Amino acid sequence: MDMSAFTDAFDAWTDSALEWLSENGEFLFEYIRWLLEGLYDAILWLLEMPPFYVVVLITMLIGWRLVGLWFALIGGVALSLCFSMGLWSETMSTLALVLTATSFALVIGIPVGVAAGFFTRLDRFMEPALDLIQTLPPYIYLLPAIALLGYGPATALVATVIVAMPPVIRLTSLGIRMTPNEFLELGQASGMTPIQMFFKIRLPFALPSIMAGINQSLMMAFGMVVIAGIVGSGGLGETIYGSIRTLDIATSINAAIAIVVLTMILDRITQSAGRMRNGRKA
Amino acid sequence: MSVANAGTDEVLIDCQSLFKVFGDKSEAAMKAITERGLGKKDVLRDFSCVLGVSNASLKVRRGEIFCIMGLSGSGKSTLIRLLNKLITPSSGKVIVKGRDLSALSAVELRQMRAKNIGMVFQNVALLPHRTVLENAAFGLEVQGVAKTERNRTATEALEKVGLGDWLTRYPRELSGGMQQRVGLARALASDPEIILMDEPFSALDPLIRRQLQDEFRELTKSLGKSAVFITHDLDEAIRIGDRIAIMKDGAIIQTGTAEHIILNPADDYVAEFVAGISRLHLIKAHSVMVSLADYEKIRPGADLGTLIHTSPSADIDELITLMIRSDQDALAVRENDRLLGVVTPRSLLLGVKGESPNHPAHA
Repeated sequence: MDMSAFTDAFDAWTDSALEWLSENGEFLFEYIRWLLEGLYDAILWLLEMPPFYVVVLITMLIGWRLVGLWFALIGGVALSLCFSMGLWSETMSTLALVLTATSFALVIGIPVGVAAGFFTRLDRFMEPALDLIQTLPPYIYLLPAIALLGYGPATALVATVIVAMPPVIRLTSLGIRMTPNEFLELGQASGMTPIQMFFKIRLPFALPSIMAGINQSLMMAFGMVVIAGIVGSGGLGETIYGSIRTLDIATSINAAIAIVVLTMILDRITQSAGRMRNGRKA
Repeated sequence: MSVANAGTDEVLIDCQSLFKVFGDKSEAAMKAITERGLGKKDVLRDFSCVLGVSNASLKVRRGEIFCIMGLSGSGKSTLIRLLNKLITPSSGKVIVKGRDLSALSAVELRQMRAKNIGMVFQNVALLPHRTVLENAAFGLEVQGVAKTERNRTATEALEKVGLGDWLTRYPRELSGGMQQRVGLARALASDPEIILMDEPFSALDPLIRRQLQDEFRELTKSLGKSAVFITHDLDEAIRIGDRIAIMKDGAIIQTGTAEHIILNPADDYVAEFVAGISRLHLIKAHSVMVSLADYEKIRPGADLGTLIHTSPSADIDELITLMIRSDQDALAVRENDRLLGVVTPRSLLLGVKGESPNHPAHA
């Protein structure tokens, strides 16, 4: 059997499908671009408007409240380092990209995860889809995105949203599913409506798992945003991509350091936020 | 612990031949049970279904504490969940306050659960992220009672169970016994007529358990509540219950007062169960006395007027004390100046052994 004919046909079909989409879905993609870039610009404006030390101080304050004094001090020094390396604007772009992509991933992922937690059939259907998204090399998502949205931050954001979504969907679904049975019985025996049951029983118990999902999605977004430097995302990813092309090792290492700093700060802060909600002060 | 002090005769919960079959083929299995009278083993073999509750009927009266006693796997936890329809029966009816649960709409059922039937769980199920007060007010919160009012009611309920000083603490700061008290306060705060207790004290150590048993009985009686109390511990059932139902393999094999069950065990299983229970405080004079005519046969012409008197509700312990003090070999059982019968040393000893002189085997 001649498989190559089949694969050729499949490739041709994929190409024409993409072409059809970009021709006929223009309105939709323009809308998506407007939505993504709108939020991105707004966040970036907020981050770049004040002088860098204000951002550093606010980060330190949040870090101190949620994690601890040492974390705040080290985080403050590390963030100031990003400024002194001359990468402040790139760092803020990357942060804005990550926050935008994660926000969209959460807005879509949490409701989907809740639904999957309730409906086993949906969960079973989604499981292989999520597996597929997570096992494909993340570069793959850049190609259709660039075909449909062109070169720029919107493309990077779409690809990042896709990559960042699976963890929060999975962990939200797990959290909803894991409500201890005795509390479901308590809710029923107290005469709760299904809506009360969701907000007063299921959600509080699912919250640690959902928070872990948010944290994981954020981390995935970081990884992807750097890769998306190839498609002109701006920020540190593009700096690294540029310095690789010119073999500028020093700059690439500086940018890498900035990424590590940003990742660690956001990781620790979101992890602690998750723990706080479930802890004494909840 | 006679039925007489259990309040009125108004029936609050009436279960009529309840069945619950668990499994994928439960409907077919249920059909086979009604048509061919299959037992627990047959159902498991032929349908791979578990017969959780089999033909259980019981009535709980207002003001009564009704204990359901059985070992694990006997179906008691399933049975209690049928009473507020946490589990829907495969067959049979549950009538609570004159209303058939299966005929209620979802809203009516929620109302019934929220207002009329409280429940306390073995694992307490206190919400870990809420304070003691917020946990106790949970039921009222669900009913939409305003915060100040529900907090006031919940505080009162917590004071009743002796936790008035712990309002702002979190469940994990409390001992097991205290947590269970919060569970009880939560159930009481909604002021239900019926409280379902699903093995609430079985995870506690013996001393605390005994204390909570007494407190629970006292509280339930003083508030005029009815309770269905699940336990695997016969001592607990006897201590708390006005009446006891004994379950085995999903079926209720005997229902009655502790005294009745001990004196007339329905089968060998029950007899074996009650064998180790001390009779001293359970069996009363009215069960161990012989009739006047029988006494006349043993002691013709004896003068009943000279015997020490006692009441029909005096327990064996009291009777022994009286018998030792008496210079005669009999005690007269009287109620309202009417002579009911006579306790003889032989009838007393039979009573200690858990047998009744009036029982056919020993007549």
